[in-house]
Amino acid sequence: MDILKQVNDIFIDILDNDDIILTGTTTALDVEEWDSLTHIQLVVAIEKHFKLRFTSMEIRKWKNVGEMCNDIENRIN
Amino acid sequence: MIQPGTTFHQIYKVDDSIYNGFVNTFLDRNPLHTNEEFAQKKGFSTRVMHGNILNGFISHFIGECLPTKDVIIHSQKIEYVKPVYLNDILELTMLVADYFESVRMLEFKFHFENQQQIKVAKGEISIGLI
Repeated sequence: MDILKQVNDIFIDILDNDDIILTGTTTALDVEEWDSLTHIQLVVAIEKHFKLRFTSMEIRKWKNVGEMCNDIENRIN
Repeated sequence: MIQPGTTFHQIYKVDDSIYNGFVNTFLDRNPLHTNEEFAQKKGFSTRVMHGNILNGFISHFIGECLPTKDVIIHSQKIEYVKPVYLNDILELTMLVADYFESVRMLEFKFHFENQQQIKVAKGEISIGLI
């Protein structure tokens, strides 16, 4: 399963919204439930799912879901 | 910094003031908690204390007993495995299970033991460092 699909499934689960469809350009402004508190849950769920850890510096650089997925791909490959 | 692997301990007593305060605040007067005869008919030795009193102890621990006050609870779950009775003395053990530096979140695993070293509750809690 590609990384975006896996991340999409995590968003659906954490944000409890089956209608979420992420793209590379999706940002928090595009997803109503994605706020500062749920962002923490999302990042932790992603780190657990992909068995990796990001630093606060790394995640601050993400401008959209695509950049998040690129970082995940770079770390797991 | 609170490191994974660190363990904290805190003692709590379920005394009259806590029990009555809980009942009078939240108005849960279910007979299991307030009627000794009812509780005994259900197989308990006496009135069972409200499980959520233990959540109050957890709130106290997180808010007051950690080395920092810069905390917020994100989530917690608890399993009640044995009854707690009035005047039980409980030891809360909190193990720092993990730390997510990216979002400054700590995960704890915890349990409560009574004065007979019987585990009465266990669970997990996630807190943010704000």
